Amino acid sequence: MTTDGEAPTNSGIPSLLRSTLVVALIYLFLVGVSSLEAGIKVMGADTQERLFSTVSNPIAGLFIGILGTVLVQSSSASTSVIVGLVATRALKLDDAVPMIMGANIGTTVTNTLVSLGHVRHSAEFKRAFSAATVHDFFNLIAVGLLLPLELATGMLSNFAESISEQLLGSAGSEWKSPIKQYVKEPVSWLKDAWGAVGVSGNILGTLMVASGLLIVLAALAFITRNMRLLVADRVERSLNAVLGKGAGIVAMMLGVIITVSVQSSSITTSILIPLAAAGVVSLRNAYPVTLGANVGTTITALLAALATDAPEALTIALVHTTFNIVGILLLYPIPKIRDIPIRLAEGLAEVAVTRRSYAVTYVIAAFIVIPLTGVAVLG
Amino acid sequence: MVMSFFRKGESGIEHIERRVVSMLGEARHSYDMAIAAVIGGADPDTVEADIFETDERINRAEQELRGELVVHISVQGADNIGAVLAYTLLIKKIERIGDQAKNVFDLTREGVSLAGSPDSAELQRYASKISGLFGEVTEILSDGDAEHAMEFRATCDKLRHECEQHVRNFMHTDEPGHYAVPRAVLYRYWKRIVANLSGVVIGVTEPLQHHEYLDGGTTGLADD
Repeated sequence: MTTDGEAPTNSGIPSLLRSTLVVALIYLFLVGVSSLEAGIKVMGADTQERLFSTVSNPIAGLFIGILGTVLVQSSSASTSVIVGLVATRALKLDDAVPMIMGANIGTTVTNTLVSLGHVRHSAEFKRAFSAATVHDFFNLIAVGLLLPLELATGMLSNFAESISEQLLGSAGSEWKSPIKQYVKEPVSWLKDAWGAVGVSGNILGTLMVASGLLIVLAALAFITRNMRLLVADRVERSLNAVLGKGAGIVAMMLGVIITVSVQSSSITTSILIPLAAAGVVSLRNAYPVTLGANVGTTITALLAALATDAPEALTIALVHTTFNIVGILLLYPIPKIRDIPIRLAEGLAEVAVTRRSYAVTYVIAAFIVIPLTGVAVLG
Repeated sequence: MVMSFFRKGESGIEHIERRVVSMLGEARHSYDMAIAAVIGGADPDTVEADIFETDERINRAEQELRGELVVHISVQGADNIGAVLAYTLLIKKIERIGDQAKNVFDLTREGVSLAGSPDSAELQRYASKISGLFGEVTEILSDGDAEHAMEFRATCDKLRHECEQHVRNFMHTDEPGHYAVPRAVLYRYWKRIVANLSGVVIGVTEPLQHHEYLDGGTTGLADD
């Protein structure tokens, strides 16, 4: 079938070249994480303490995690930054855990925003909004259960630390990251370049952090874009094979695989929204894919940890993975508990479809007003 | 199922094209079975189940393909929007052909059997010609040859007008109703089937706006 204006999807750059480009972008991403770490290290101890004193309150840390992720629209980016900061040891592991959980909540804003695009058609909007907010409710409930547990027992961080210790050594020690060796050189060039313009101390540190952030965000954006093009046919094929078949665990695995491939849970969950809106995938079938995306997105932070030489960086990345897996183990296997986020999402969609303004109010309140107020009051 | 992600395979649009061709094959099967019962003298009771099962498969394929087209757009973006809209219309036409084959078969439920009638050779010639058109549509969809599509549509236009003429002739014939009516109905269905087959290949030559229309965009397919 030919139609006017039709273009092959994977047009332009050949796949092999695009794959090479992705490898280069991953390298650039690791350079960005390492620059961030180097920038914080350049700053004095007093500055470091002032910078991270706000997050010593876990609820403030949680809200900062939400806000930071909403701002960059990517939990991969925000968690990678957290990993970089933990690697400097200026941000303590215990303080970073709520931030990681906040990033998990913050990332759900993207597909909720996508669902608002269907607001004009009631039936479509109801399906789209419930498919989007089921992700919100799952993460809110998971944080509601696991954050107090973590604060009381250190369960997640202890478990992640034990894995990290077995792999790299104890906290406070240094391990020779093979990747760190390869990214060291460009980071020192960057430092020298800023040094050549006559800056030093905190200003140099700030510039290094800013450069690192910019590199991380740009590299992740391009990785996601290119990987999406590279794996689009595979994603399409596997979605056709899995969706509509009601296969919970298989759908969850697919969510993991797609998200690991495109390095973005927002892409995976946002693909589901038009499908849910059109009724091609039911809320119950979309839900496990979303949970898989939650786990899959943790790969980026794990990758970022490889660019550092502090075992704590790997620990916090593992906390992210563990948090999502434990959340699934708590909330998914028992059907009655599994239904809670689904029912809440359906209930909210029911309200949102009768009063559309409530949907917008929900997004603004949950992702901006409440976290901002929380940081202002508790920070 | 999830392993399909790691296997190399056809692109989304190639997969849709393959399924459309297979759907067309099912529609042809249904049509051939119906003709065998009405003109070829096959026992209607023997082919009935086959025709209805095939029709169910066609209907299911149409629904699944609609879902796959939405998945295609969601995953790949709007690059192939023209093809997706064209396929959405095209699969509906194939589904209609399946229904029309069933309508042809329904003549046997009224006790119509044209096997061995004086004009059965001419009817069989028409039936075979139309069956052959299905194969041609498959070829055109696969190779996207615009010239072939133009020739095909010209053949279809000629056949449609011939069928129309037969219907008119039977309306004014002195033959008894039990002779004229089944033939008029059969030619009417043939005309619709041919129009739909022509509509299936229209995407190869015409812009999207003209799909579902015949005679250079003047006649709606449903009005034909």
